[in-house]
Amino acid sequence: MSDLPAGAAYLAFDGTRLYAGTGPGRRFMVDARCLQGEPVRGAFAHVCALTDGAAALAYDQPEIQQVRRDVLAWWIGLLGDALVCLTTLALDEARYGGAITVTREPVRWQDDPFARIFPGTVVRSDLFCPVTPTAGPVVERYAGVAWPGGTFAS
Amino acid sequence: MKLAPGGAFPDLDLPDHTGRDRRLSEIAGGDPLVVLFSRGWWCPKEQRHLREMTALQDEFEVAYTRMVVVSVDAPEVQSAFRAGLGARFVFLSDAERRWLGLLGLLEETDTLHDPYRPTAFSLFPDLTIHSAYDGNWYWGRPTAEDLRRDMRAISRAVRKDFDRR
Repeated sequence: MSDLPAGAAYLAFDGTRLYAGTGPGRRFMVDARCLQGEPVRGAFAHVCALTDGAAALAYDQPEIQQVRRDVLAWWIGLLGDALVCLTTLALDEARYGGAITVTREPVRWQDDPFARIFPGTVVRSDLFCPVTPTAGPVVERYAGVAWPGGTFAS
Repeated sequence: MKLAPGGAFPDLDLPDHTGRDRRLSEIAGGDPLVVLFSRGWWCPKEQRHLREMTALQDEFEVAYTRMVVVSVDAPEVQSAFRAGLGARFVFLSDAERRWLGLLGLLEETDTLHDPYRPTAFSLFPDLTIHSAYDGNWYWGRPTAEDLRRDMRAISRAVRKDFDRR
């Protein structure tokens, strides 16, 4: 994809590190708000994604719908004040490539619902800023932006 | 404060069920919104009505529409109640009753809890009131069908491509 939708930003993951914009490794689109504020230094990013380009599913798959419901139902609440931000990783307007949950401290990553889809890797990062988590209950994407980003507000 | 169709609904600022500070306009995020004022977790009528609203969230989640509950319950109580319902929408806590008097929604018959009167409002994304419901009597509360009609009307008004004929 050459043109980013409004509200989206690029992020790259090489299996051990994350890079804002385009960098080494696999490129994803994220909720741009996660990269637009004052970053939390030394945050813990749980990257539930693979560098293999074949690791992709449609956002409309039932398991990808359900993982977003679980995030709204209990994952955000379980993280409490440790949560910095979270974003799914979009490959294009239709495909899901994974998700990242960013926290200020190590948490119970084994409970991360996104890890049901692709296994998680914990990466220390200085890229991410605090974003108030989505209030729900919307699980659909706005104009192709990685959930929970985007809006139809004019 | 007069809360009637066509009027402006105040941009409530309250902590949510996780303790995070929220504003109603931020929760709406450009989408139509339903605000449900609830007596509290202990009221059988609230338990029944919010179960119906929770069932409706399966439509709201795919329809770019929002739902929020406001009560005087503390955030940790709301969090437990929300989990019991299986709700995935946000609860706002006015445990300090900061907005209760300003909105004029005190349930005066309940001097034990001093809760909100069961009322509901369908709002445009800019928080203009589309419909208002007084649930003093249970049948005054919005049904799922009432809210479907409201959300359709608001969406038709704010989504330019709603009628693609």
